Amino acid sequence: MISKTQINKKILIAVFLIIIPLTSVNCQLTTDGNIFSLKNRLRFGNYLYKDQDYLRAADEFKEYLKSESNDTVVFRLANSYFQIGHYTEAADNFKGLFFGSQLSEEARLMFYESIFFQKDYKLFRSLTEENNFDSSLYNKDIERLKYISFFFDNTTLPDENTVLKSFPDTVQSKLLNFYQQKKFPKYKSITTSVILSTLIPGAGKIYTGEIGDGITSLIATGLTTYLAITNFKADHQFRGWLFSGLAAFFYAGNIYGSAASAQIYNARIQFNFDKEVRLFFEQRNYFLPKIDY
Amino acid sequence: MKDLIRLKTERIFSICIYIFLLTIPFNLNAQTDWVRWEGKEISYELTPTHHHDYTLDKSSFGMTLFSVLRNTYYFFISDLDGDNCPFEPSCSAFFLQSIKETSIFKGTLMFSDRFTRDLNFFKGTDHYHLLASKKFSDPAYNYTLHSKKIKL
Repeated sequence: MISKTQINKKILIAVFLIIIPLTSVNCQLTTDGNIFSLKNRLRFGNYLYKDQDYLRAADEFKEYLKSESNDTVVFRLANSYFQIGHYTEAADNFKGLFFGSQLSEEARLMFYESIFFQKDYKLFRSLTEENNFDSSLYNKDIERLKYISFFFDNTTLPDENTVLKSFPDTVQSKLLNFYQQKKFPKYKSITTSVILSTLIPGAGKIYTGEIGDGITSLIATGLTTYLAITNFKADHQFRGWLFSGLAAFFYAGNIYGSAASAQIYNARIQFNFDKEVRLFFEQRNYFLPKIDY
Repeated sequence: MKDLIRLKTERIFSICIYIFLLTIPFNLNAQTDWVRWEGKEISYELTPTHHHDYTLDKSSFGMTLFSVLRNTYYFFISDLDGDNCPFEPSCSAFFLQSIKETSIFKGTLMFSDRFTRDLNFFKGTDHYHLLASKKFSDPAYNYTLHSKKIKL
């Protein structure tokens, strides 16, 4: 008499024996016998691309394009490079789609984006002004990107209205604010700071917002000068000269420090402005349409 | 009935073993009596929290001379006094760095300014970055008066 558990075991073995060959046949079918076939490389590349694993996707696409020609794959390869920050390779690959491709317009926009993100804004502007790779569809976006680039380097800004008219009405006031900040930055004058510190030790530092340092400078210089004078008056020549030296040391350092302080203040203003502007445009994707194929 | 009792005993026994195993880490880390009452030798010597770099800068005669002076200061004063400078690099290291970055004259001015800033009791994170070592980051290259060298 066969027990119930024995029957269950036999059924389990039977199911197991059926499933194993089926799965191996299935694997065989999906891989076509060659896991590195072009078709599989493309499928895997597309999977990685969708999964935003652009670094590995680019490798798969590159291998695929060694033997096949496909504009969408070239676009995806270029975009993969773009996404991982390899802008030079991205621009080169987008360039390959400029002529005779259905993705020509998008490739042109992405090419300009790649140049823009290389942060060589002068080159970017010269390319946009040459109009060699003009895009009829995305011309306005490229022009807008050109005006954005003025906020990121030290080139003189174009006319206020010219810059602002390219942007939507909702951001006009914010951009006007950025424009004013860029054109008239609230820098502190190094000369004023130095003159103030020469007249009153520490005043230059107070002018640049370093109040504590300014007061310390005043006390250090004032105290050593006072000690030098009193020692000279008391006919203590050595101590008099010693404190005179210290006073001169603090006084000279205070003047130099004021200049350095004003310069650091200005660098901080510039740094904060750059950070704010970059964040503003990044949050809005630089007013660019999202292109993906 | 006997089987039931045996089964229950086994279960209780296994729970006890499980609890025992759970308490092993606590027992291992527990403070034992003899350790708690053991007399200890207490040393009041201050252990150095950092080590000075005594290497000589041989890039020029002046730098070597200043390295020797700095090492003398490290050996006779700083190492005995302790790690007190609130800045990173310390004032002595800043002095040497500023001389190396600029010149002896400008380096001295930079040092004078740093020394004054060090005297300020109210320095804080609004002007300096606080490093993991709880010191204010204040590198010499920010004070060379070359705006491109400034790193915030």
